[in-house]
Amino acid sequence: MALINGVTIAIVLFGIGLLGLILRRDLVIKLLALGLVNGSTILCLVSLNARVDGVAPIVHFPASVPYVDPLPHALVLSAIVINFAILALALVFVMLLVERYHTTDSQRIEHEIKGERIP
Amino acid sequence: MRRSSRGMIITASALVICFCALLMMMFDYHGAREEAGAAYIERGTIDTGAANLVSAIYLNYRLFDTLLEILVFSVAVLGVRFYLLERGKEEVVAEIPESQVVRTSADLLLPLILLLGIYLVLFGHLSPGGGFSGGTVAGTGLLLCAVALGADVVGRRFHEPTLERFEWGVLLAILLLALFPAVLRRLPLTDLLSPGRVGSMVSGGSILIYNVLIGVKVFIGTWVIIHYFVRHRGEI
Repeated sequence: MALINGVTIAIVLFGIGLLGLILRRDLVIKLLALGLVNGSTILCLVSLNARVDGVAPIVHFPASVPYVDPLPHALVLSAIVINFAILALALVFVMLLVERYHTTDSQRIEHEIKGERIP
Repeated sequence: MRRSSRGMIITASALVICFCALLMMMFDYHGAREEAGAAYIERGTIDTGAANLVSAIYLNYRLFDTLLEILVFSVAVLGVRFYLLERGKEEVVAEIPESQVVRTSADLLLPLILLLGIYLVLFGHLSPGGGFSGGTVAGTGLLLCAVALGADVVGRRFHEPTLERFEWGVLLAILLLALFPAVLRRLPLTDLLSPGRVGSMVSGGSILIYNVLIGVKVFIGTWVIIHYFVRHRGEI
């Protein structure tokens, strides 16, 4: 198995997204990182089931070549829709926070909520 | 500050390592996965009549999952609408300077995009596509229209309260369609229509109906989200 395949790329992307989600302070960049995590998950699901000689699971008679497993593709569909829903809702919350605190910096927002002096 | 960020790095690395370990275990786990997939490939078209096995799974075998997925989508649309209405004060949408290039390309592309969306919805059981992707494509076509003409001009073409009521009506129709077999003393989510001849337009049992309903739902939902964002942000 080649070292650089879909799964390893997905792992690297997942790591980058997770680090961005935790370490970056900007809320919008956090959401972008969340999107990256979601994309890496989809890439992982698809490439785990990829076959070199397989074709998309759409039946054309007569079936001579093997189809790839259609189940993960159906799961990916849910993942995409739910990611879209989460992003839309989270963007609204970011809009509300920016309106109230005039910043997208999560730490400044937390400091303001606690009533501390902003460092 | 310094210590907490170091803790976060450690936590993140631990999470990545756990994720990798999970993947490594999945590499060894071949048997059951291929068996399940093989069963779907073998029986999918015979059971459901849909040539597209992915639609056969998410609109027939696992319809229950898809129903909850539609509910999640609806709740997201509802949340966007609720919180943006709660926020009150709408901004006046800034007029976009009229651009001949955008206008002409929108005129050219909009019919094609809508046609592609309708095709993806109607042929979701025969070829790649389906309600979710077709609805999103058509909704994005409306976004192009909003960029070219201004969101308020496009918004005025629709009667928004009717549109929103229609969206919830479609959701109700999907749920009732799923529950309808219970009236005939069958299990809910059973497909009552016959599979039909595989590859013809009218085949796949109820999959076509579900695709059309989901397509309308996602189309309206996408437009509602876009329009509320534009209206409350003041610009595209």
